[in-house]
Amino acid sequence: MILMLAPYAFLLVAFGVLPLFMAVAEVPGPSLTNADGGWDAFSIVVQDFRFPVAVKNVGGFMLYFIPMMMITVIAMALMLDVKTTKWGKYLRLAYIVPASISGAVAVLVWWAIFEPTISPIKSVLSFFGVDSARQIWQTENLTYLIAIMAFFAIAGNWILIQYGSLQNISSEIIEAARVDGCSAFQLAVRIKLPLIQKYVVYMAVLVFAGGLQIFVEPQLLNTGVYTGIASSWSFDQLSYELAFKAGDFGGASALSIILLIPSLIGALIVIFKTDMFDVKTNADKGADKELNV
Amino acid sequence: MKSTVDTPKKKKKLVQENRVGMFFVNSWLIFFALISLVPMAWLLLAPSKTDDQVTGNAPLSFGNIKGYLNAWNNLRFFDNGVIEKWVINSVVFNIAIVIIATATASLAGFVLSASRIRFKRVFLISTLIMMLIPPVALVVPLFVLMDKVGLVDNPLSVILISSLYPFGTFLSYIYYSTTIPAELYESARLDGCTDWQLYSRIAFPLSGALISLLAFFAFIGNWANYFMPYVLLYSSENYTLPLGLGFLFNSTPAINPGVGATSVPIYKPEIALAGVLVALPILIVFLLSQRRLVKGMLAGSIKE
Repeated sequence: MILMLAPYAFLLVAFGVLPLFMAVAEVPGPSLTNADGGWDAFSIVVQDFRFPVAVKNVGGFMLYFIPMMMITVIAMALMLDVKTTKWGKYLRLAYIVPASISGAVAVLVWWAIFEPTISPIKSVLSFFGVDSARQIWQTENLTYLIAIMAFFAIAGNWILIQYGSLQNISSEIIEAARVDGCSAFQLAVRIKLPLIQKYVVYMAVLVFAGGLQIFVEPQLLNTGVYTGIASSWSFDQLSYELAFKAGDFGGASALSIILLIPSLIGALIVIFKTDMFDVKTNADKGADKELNV
Repeated sequence: MKSTVDTPKKKKKLVQENRVGMFFVNSWLIFFALISLVPMAWLLLAPSKTDDQVTGNAPLSFGNIKGYLNAWNNLRFFDNGVIEKWVINSVVFNIAIVIIATATASLAGFVLSASRIRFKRVFLISTLIMMLIPPVALVVPLFVLMDKVGLVDNPLSVILISSLYPFGTFLSYIYYSTTIPAELYESARLDGCTDWQLYSRIAFPLSGALISLLAFFAFIGNWANYFMPYVLLYSSENYTLPLGLGFLFNSTPAINPGVGATSVPIYKPEIALAGVLVALPILIVFLLSQRRLVKGMLAGSIKE
């Protein structure tokens, strides 16, 4: 059995556990900003003039992105759950389409959408008085522009997943609530929503952790489209620049660790505070039995 | 008796209540579906046109089927046809990743569900933690590690790192735990089956649905991956398609006003075609397996 677990165990240790320790070990190494090395790499990176800028950018982005995700996805899933015509299937297929546009392709496509000369939503843009891309692609607008890109890249997946979680509610509960006179809206908000709470927490943790690590969109906009528009805009970009432009692996590792902490806390909440991954299986029961033999 | 007759009537009335509300719900659902289709429609249509048509014609109009071929031929002018290398790299790396990730995860999930090995709980919890942490969080330490073992700019680094598949291991653990009764293993053991035979003769033949689920998630998680290969691979002949697309942004004037005119015919249709090569495979896989997505992401938490 051990041999069959070995390939995965090797990958897990080599590329999961080991890098974590290496990140910690890397922090006190000397660099230009931390010439004599030491653990003050943490405070040095936080005091870097680009750090508060990244806090402001990523914070602003998350302020749009997270509520947009949570509210739209849950509302859409609840609406889909009410509508039970055969159209539902095609609508769900349509929602998944933008999920194939992420990262580099998302930058290309959203560049085109917000470029008035070629935009498929030209008339909407001109309605809002936008006739030049310069009115849109400004550093201060990136918080919501990147939120839009990130939203469409994953919203469809989550709409389908939460719709799936709603299918899991027993029809007896729904029937009972209906007989008691619940309207469709009350049913959604008072009965269904509390019942899918743990899936909502699961989604919130993954969305938050993913948002914190935003990299590709601002990086490519900055290097490939509008040079300088998003220089060290996000934490991961700053970490990238520290490591690969300034050779400061200590600072970059310190920043990676700081960023890992909220994700780690989120992961632990989902694992230990919800029953999302509580598997009560026949093998477990069997294993207990075997142990007793 | 009376109430049983009443209930269906009442239900019907309740379902049809509030037609105005339902109208808005349906309109919104359809509106959102249309919004969802626009970006992909633009991307798929752009390479059919010439650069002038992309600007001049209606944004969602179709040019000519030859446009795609033309854009592809122009892409091949870039850097001596390096685009072909990118396509091959993307395909080869992803096949390798999907195979290694699926095989290791399926085996590990089987061992975790069928055995009583020590540290089983430690394995499961570290798997769950790795699965909930975004993979990009470890990019810098992974680079340091690969630098130490001399694998930077070697495709093997990307393949190996991407093959760590905690989500797949968890999925297969759930799958084997819930579909194969422990008694089956017990009686097979009594009949003299070795551990390997338990997997190869009992578990594996029953895991068609699981394997397709594992391959699906491994593929959609890696095909468009950018950050990690971007850090680890720096020679353009080692790039995958997403990296190549980013490279095209940087080095052609197609969408980057900062780059001056070049002799290479890479404009909007060509860039869009490169984008299609990245997005289309994922789109097809998504449309064919949307049920797998939901099933996989909710695995383990759905209790019958």
